[in-house]
Amino acid sequence: MNRSSIIALGIFAAILAYFLSFGAESTRKLQAGFYSLISPFLKTGSGIQKSITSVSTGLKTLEEVERDNASLKVENRSLKATNQALRDVEHEVNRLRRALAYSERSVFRLVPAEIVARDSSTWWRTVTINRGKADHIESDMPVVTDEGLVGKTTTVGDNISIVLLLSDENCRVAASVEGTREQGIVAGERVTGSVSPLLDLNFLSKQANLQPGMKSYTSGVGGVFPSGLLIGTVQSFRARELDGQARIAPAVDLSHLEDVFVVTGNK
Amino acid sequence: MIFFVILLILTFLAQIVEFFIPPLDWMYNARIYIVPVIVFYGAMALPLPLVLALAGFAGFLLDAVTVQALGPRVEISVGWSILLYAVLAAIMHGLRPLFIRGRWEVHCIMSGLCTSAILLSQYLMISFRRGSLVFTREAWWQIGGPGFIAMLMAPLAFWILHSLGRLAANPYLPEPDGYE
Repeated sequence: MNRSSIIALGIFAAILAYFLSFGAESTRKLQAGFYSLISPFLKTGSGIQKSITSVSTGLKTLEEVERDNASLKVENRSLKATNQALRDVEHEVNRLRRALAYSERSVFRLVPAEIVARDSSTWWRTVTINRGKADHIESDMPVVTDEGLVGKTTTVGDNISIVLLLSDENCRVAASVEGTREQGIVAGERVTGSVSPLLDLNFLSKQANLQPGMKSYTSGVGGVFPSGLLIGTVQSFRARELDGQARIAPAVDLSHLEDVFVVTGNK
Repeated sequence: MIFFVILLILTFLAQIVEFFIPPLDWMYNARIYIVPVIVFYGAMALPLPLVLALAGFAGFLLDAVTVQALGPRVEISVGWSILLYAVLAAIMHGLRPLFIRGRWEVHCIMSGLCTSAILLSQYLMISFRRGSLVFTREAWWQIGGPGFIAMLMAPLAFWILHSLGRLAANPYLPEPDGYE
């Protein structure tokens, strides 16, 4: 090994030791800084991705027009494209109207946010939203949609935040089940092969005998999540050796999130 | 040095692009990783100090993107991915004599194995932290699948990067006849 390699190894070891000494707060600051740095790339990428999806949908419609109306091909292309664009606008308007209505009737103070990127890792389930400290968002704030609970914020940058999804094993939520006195902890699975994974509701009593279709809500225990937020519906229940476990289908389709709200407090 | 900077930029861009590549549902949600292929090519085509710098940069990006700081604890500390990348890149660098002799297939296979090794190490670390080790079929697919995809991507990626290296006049590349 030559001299420059030995010096490089020494510098590398020193930098490595520096990073390995980071605690939770330093890590959070580093991650927030990094995400703030790449946020323009993520926002641009998100915009491009939406454009590509929109264009591919439009092209599919044009193919149908070409097949069905050979004589009016050009005119139909134009009309279909316009129609598609209007449908996109209508979808957007409906989505925003729903969001606005939810925001108005909610008892919480909500900050609306848009998903700009999804996790790129295998073992962690997170999304990145376009709101941060500038919008009074802090770590450990609940994130919801009008359908139910989504997760909680972890790392918060100036204009960007990471949301830990309910489907992640590390996102643990104290939950209760409607019509019963049962309380437990909801958590995601470490590994799942499905895009819409189920959640586990653990530490129920063995006699709980929950029925499919029963709704599960946050119980408010723990301090992060306020009580009464819909988590999902019971799919099945089984009694284990020491406790009971229910499988919960999340109320929110976590694989198709577009807009969310961060709960910053009560109104 | 120019080629090293090119590899740094490509690594950064690949890390951003990975955000927008959805998981493959037909492969039990296995993901596609581009960064390891670039780093492992760099491990063959650069001298050791630059290999360490590239591995450090890629490891830092991976840590910054994946690290989970929950309350007072961090699941995998910043730095572990740097170490992981450096060890694997050093192994690839050790196989450089084969690269010089034009035996790229070994490195293509190794790229896949090393990509899976990164995922396996992450999985073992989080399993250790979370207190239970569970290996399901999905877990094996999510560890092995990206490695298999990296193996398939490697020949084309290596060829493109090798061409870029020649264009950038990378002095550390083997001579066109296959020997330094």
